[in-house]
Amino acid sequence: MIHDDVVGNAPALRTAGLGRRYGHVWGLRDCTLTVPAGAVVGLVGPNGAGKTTLLQMIIGLLQPTEGQLEVFGETTRANSAKALARVGYVAQDHPLYRDFTVADMFHLGRAMNPSWDQGVATARMDALGIPLKRKIKGLSGGQQAQVSLAMALAKRAPLLALDEPVSSLDPIARLDFMRELMAAAADTGVTVIVASHVVSELERLCDWLIVLTGGRMQLAGPVDDLLAAHRLLTVPRATRDAELPGLAIHRADSDRHSTVLVRIDPARLAAQERREWGVEPVGFEQLVLAYLQRPSGASTDNPAQAAARPGPATKEVTR
Amino acid sequence: MIWVSWRQSRSQAIACLGVLAALAVYAILVGSSMRTAFSHDGLAACLARSQGTSCPAAVSAFMNKFGSAVNIAFWSVLLIAPGLLGVLVGAPLIARELEFGTWRLAWSQTVPRTRWLAVKLALVTGGLVLLGAAITAVITWYRAPMDRLTGHLINNVYDFEGLVLTAYILCAFGFALLAGLLLRRSIPAMIAAFIPWLAIRLAVEYLLRPNFQAPLTFRQNCASGCSVGAGIGSVPPVTGHIGDWVLGQPAGQSGNQLVSYLYQPADRFWHFQFIEAGLFVALTAAALGAAIWLLHRRPA
Repeated sequence: MIHDDVVGNAPALRTAGLGRRYGHVWGLRDCTLTVPAGAVVGLVGPNGAGKTTLLQMIIGLLQPTEGQLEVFGETTRANSAKALARVGYVAQDHPLYRDFTVADMFHLGRAMNPSWDQGVATARMDALGIPLKRKIKGLSGGQQAQVSLAMALAKRAPLLALDEPVSSLDPIARLDFMRELMAAAADTGVTVIVASHVVSELERLCDWLIVLTGGRMQLAGPVDDLLAAHRLLTVPRATRDAELPGLAIHRADSDRHSTVLVRIDPARLAAQERREWGVEPVGFEQLVLAYLQRPSGASTDNPAQAAARPGPATKEVTR
Repeated sequence: MIWVSWRQSRSQAIACLGVLAALAVYAILVGSSMRTAFSHDGLAACLARSQGTSCPAAVSAFMNKFGSAVNIAFWSVLLIAPGLLGVLVGAPLIARELEFGTWRLAWSQTVPRTRWLAVKLALVTGGLVLLGAAITAVITWYRAPMDRLTGHLINNVYDFEGLVLTAYILCAFGFALLAGLLLRRSIPAMIAAFIPWLAIRLAVEYLLRPNFQAPLTFRQNCASGCSVGAGIGSVPPVTGHIGDWVLGQPAGQSGNQLVSYLYQPADRFWHFQFIEAGLFVALTAAALGAAIWLLHRRPA
């Protein structure tokens, strides 16, 4: 319903070789991906993996150092009103002006966003029982997060980017926030990107997944495809990685057996599968953890080394 | 954006109005008694008649009564007051957003950050100009009787009248805004801006201002006896014309009968005001320009 301004079938987000350097350190490098409109994307990675860097470039708060970035088919220029209008943003720790009332915050949203929908914002506060006259500093962390979410939604941008929206909240507030977010995504069809290091929060929410470690993209794709492309194999311990029908992502050895999470090559799986192997599907959390534990093929603080080995992680993942 | 700027600055605006009101109350209380004394002592007629030379007793009584309250107290407070005002308003404007992380909220709305800053600067500098003009008006009214004895070109008067007071405030504001952007903390930014502001302010007053225009020379014939150096701060000054700013005696005078004094004539007041205000406004513009450029360029 809010996508009238989106041109054709352009993907919500498309990047090619996107990178951002802070001084000598690359915050993110070689990021190439295409996210379709309407996806709900989980952006997973440990702290410092480059999640915030990627989000801030998408929003237009940060200028990429290299590579291309398109949001709904249009190249994003940092700090242009057009780029800013396309993305609703809930920053980490949901910053708000503490001495403003909720109504003041919404007044600010209306003053600073041409497509602002005051009804969306106030209806959410009514539903959640948050009084508009209350000062921000008088609200709980969960309520502040809800105000931030309401502001991002009332901006009516076709893309919603959230940076660790629940990491500072208690478990109940986390559930409430995620429920509200899921409902909003379902109602409006808005494309959502949620950065988090809390994997369990994302499982029910996301239909798309991006895993970042050390400034490199490890994995990106629709969750169903990714799950279908991986298997958990139980093999004799002596089995070498090269004998496996695909790429070993994570291997845990016990006395006699090894449990290996493998990105399978379908042709080889059929040909190579041995009767004594146990083959099981993988779960969302298992898959994410396997990639998070994987040694990040390139170190981000050594650009020379990274340049000598062009785009290792990215290429194999997006193939 | 105008509403946003107002909402974020209104408590500062109210505090500034409070300061202005307190100043006005003080000015009315002391100023009224000064006016009463001035007319009671018949100083106006005496000044009109003889530039004050014919009524030295009345002049010195008036100066003794009000000179310290009007000149010394004001000098000590108002030397630093414009700088404090400027840095208190300027430092938090950007630094507060960086300090509390709210820049991510402010700059991710549909208003590019340079426009966000431009609107704020327009409104806040406008407010500071009005405030500076109001303070100048109050002080000028308050000092009016005193100014008729001393003129307003001499140091402790010139700094609070005309244009320069407003320019001092703006300059401190510009420095603090830039420092806030660079240091990302309000309090350190205030300190980092105030110190160079004060240094420049004093350097201009004592080094540059006496030479904005080449001083004139006044020669006094001391054949009939006159103490060397007398009359620099007296009413009227040694030049015999109220309001002239006597800078002192040039070095290397031999002990002959003609003693010369360097001075700036009273009618150069506005010329000097324009030069000095222009200097401080140019510094302000440079600082604000640098801030806009940095904000446009900085990564985040």
